[in-house]
Amino acid sequence: MSPSPRQAVVLASNRIPFARQSGPYARASNQDMLTAALDGLVDRAGIAGERLGEVAGGAVLKHSRDFNLTRESLLGTRIAPETPACDVGQACGTGLEAAILVANKIALGQVESGIACGVDSTSDAPIAINEGLRGVLLEINAARSNLDRVRALGKVRPGQIVPEIPRNEEPRTGMSMGEHAAIMAREWGIAREPQDELAAVSHRNLAAAYDGGFEDDLVTAYLGLERDHNLRPDSTPEQLAKLDPVFGGAEGTMTAGNSTPLSDGASAVLLGTEEWGAERGLAPLARLVDAETAAIDHVGAREGLLMAPAYAVPRLLARRGLELQDFDLYEIHEAFASQVLCTLAAWEDPVFCRERLGRDGPLGPIDRDRLNVRGGSLAAGHPFAATGGRIVGNLAKLLSARGGGRGLISICAAGGQGVVAILES
Amino acid sequence: MARVRELATMPSLGGLYARVGLGSIPGASLLGRLPLLPASRRGAELPDERLRLAGVVADRDGVARYARVCGFTLRDELPGTYPHVMSFPLQLALMASGSFPFSPLGLVHIADEITQHRRVGAGEPLDLEVEAVGLRPHPKGRAFTLVVRASAGGEPVWEEAGTILRRGGGGTDAVREPGPPVPEELGAGAEWRLPGDLGRRYAAVSGDRNPIHLHPLGARAFGFSRPIAHGMWTMARCLAQLEGRTGDAFTVAVSFRKPVLLPGRVCFAMAEHGGRIAFALRGPGAGETPVHLRGELRPI
Repeated sequence: MSPSPRQAVVLASNRIPFARQSGPYARASNQDMLTAALDGLVDRAGIAGERLGEVAGGAVLKHSRDFNLTRESLLGTRIAPETPACDVGQACGTGLEAAILVANKIALGQVESGIACGVDSTSDAPIAINEGLRGVLLEINAARSNLDRVRALGKVRPGQIVPEIPRNEEPRTGMSMGEHAAIMAREWGIAREPQDELAAVSHRNLAAAYDGGFEDDLVTAYLGLERDHNLRPDSTPEQLAKLDPVFGGAEGTMTAGNSTPLSDGASAVLLGTEEWGAERGLAPLARLVDAETAAIDHVGAREGLLMAPAYAVPRLLARRGLELQDFDLYEIHEAFASQVLCTLAAWEDPVFCRERLGRDGPLGPIDRDRLNVRGGSLAAGHPFAATGGRIVGNLAKLLSARGGGRGLISICAAGGQGVVAILES
Repeated sequence: MARVRELATMPSLGGLYARVGLGSIPGASLLGRLPLLPASRRGAELPDERLRLAGVVADRDGVARYARVCGFTLRDELPGTYPHVMSFPLQLALMASGSFPFSPLGLVHIADEITQHRRVGAGEPLDLEVEAVGLRPHPKGRAFTLVVRASAGGEPVWEEAGTILRRGGGGTDAVREPGPPVPEELGAGAEWRLPGDLGRRYAAVSGDRNPIHLHPLGARAFGFSRPIAHGMWTMARCLAQLEGRTGDAFTVAVSFRKPVLLPGRVCFAMAEHGGRIAFALRGPGAGETPVHLRGELRPI
């Protein structure tokens, strides 16, 4: 492949601690949280008053009034108001996709700098009026005479008062993401124990990251919260084993402990050319080298909903001429412990790799000591669009701190999609 | 040096309103059953004392509700006008004391100046101090300055000087105090539609329950056909509009002009000039529109 003329580097990142639903951020809107994450980044990088090339970001759960969420948030910060912004959306892939978008513009020479960001609130979630009532109201709005308005009003039924509350549900299957993941776990024979073990390690690693000061220049306190609300440093597999299954029925293996909780939070990553960073005294942490997005057919039940990263990674490896083992660090988003374990199992499975990926042999195992070494979404929580920024910032700092190396990011998303990327330092 | 009266707890607003509240509404005294303060017990001079309460921490939920009503982003720092709200019971307690020369509810807030020396964290314990100084003649009566200071660990972080007018009985030869300068041309800005219950909503988040802001009947007692917006709401809303431009340390000064009747529409306009931002709130439409507020923001 032809070499890119230049590569975008990660220069700094910031996020607010993630909170559980209806917790410390219950009164904060998406715009409040995104503004807080951006302002913290501006402080950390010393870019107050700068006009940046672009700010790209988004939220998965969004009010209709927030059509320009990223731009409106930017206008509340100390970033120059002449900085353009765009909203992007790819379910839980939003944060990473935003980073890829900004990095691509930098690589193409269209901008010199930009911020990728994401936010989600499951507390301040949009509630829509009943579809039937919406139809009547639209009819009243379109009516030309008072008589027509009265006629339309006569169609209102008591049951229409019940609002539509957003559900964590796949539109085309009607199943929640957890139910989909439970099917995957059953198909891949993922037992309860390794899921609980993965969750416990996630909590342990994140707690150590905070205790060791690793998070000091990644996280800025917000509304009195200094660490992720969901983090339980003393979490053990034994304790997690006591929880009842919440997905997959009574025999299911997935619990509230090995699944991510509904969360509130925001993150932001500053990207730029090395020169742009150097002019501002910002050392590059890592280069965003390449990325790949894949999708699978979950509607036709040909593949599990959250298996798309298992397809995206081998395609990315093939393009870069790399093996799965050529990485110093792996960041696999822990939507559910079972999702991570299904993905790893698929890469080790000769049949999957031959029949689904068209490879001669399996990709093979990864060194589990290199996986999510500073914790993952099971410990931190998962405000959908904010997870990508958390992971990019985290991995860039890890690679820089170890004096170089290569890291892989893998994030599964609703709609049967997966976004993956490579960072190098 | 004024005597400092150290308080142990924040005075209860309910009790303060019960003590002084209705007595000052014109006409209410006709009821004849309210415990009114005899005029003779009120002093002729401002009390030579400061009220002080140490270690006041803002209530996070209260800050969130205030931010929503005034248009501030909910941050980990206090909105620049928030210590005014935190210290409001102290201000009322000072003016409700028997030795204070005026009854608080008939007083008119005509100007305000706030200086924020640095960002103030929403969780920081603040030592609050209020004092009334500078009783002086005003063309429409007499005026004094209500001073509020907030410090953290001995370091001054925030202060406010509110100019308060008592109508009537003033020296007519007094010169009108100059307000913040307004440049000839203010840029086009924003138009805000203010709902009829704005006064009640701001009262709920600020504790300022002067009846003139709450209900047409309360407003009528003071000669207005409709409730009027709190001056401090208009100041807060303007400061919220300037967020991202204020910097960490700044002074914002406003003078309150024609009251804003609720419900209603107002236009915000601003112009940046040499690092300073001049702004104004006016009535909607073109041509001669009433000026509700003039202000200036100066970075420090």
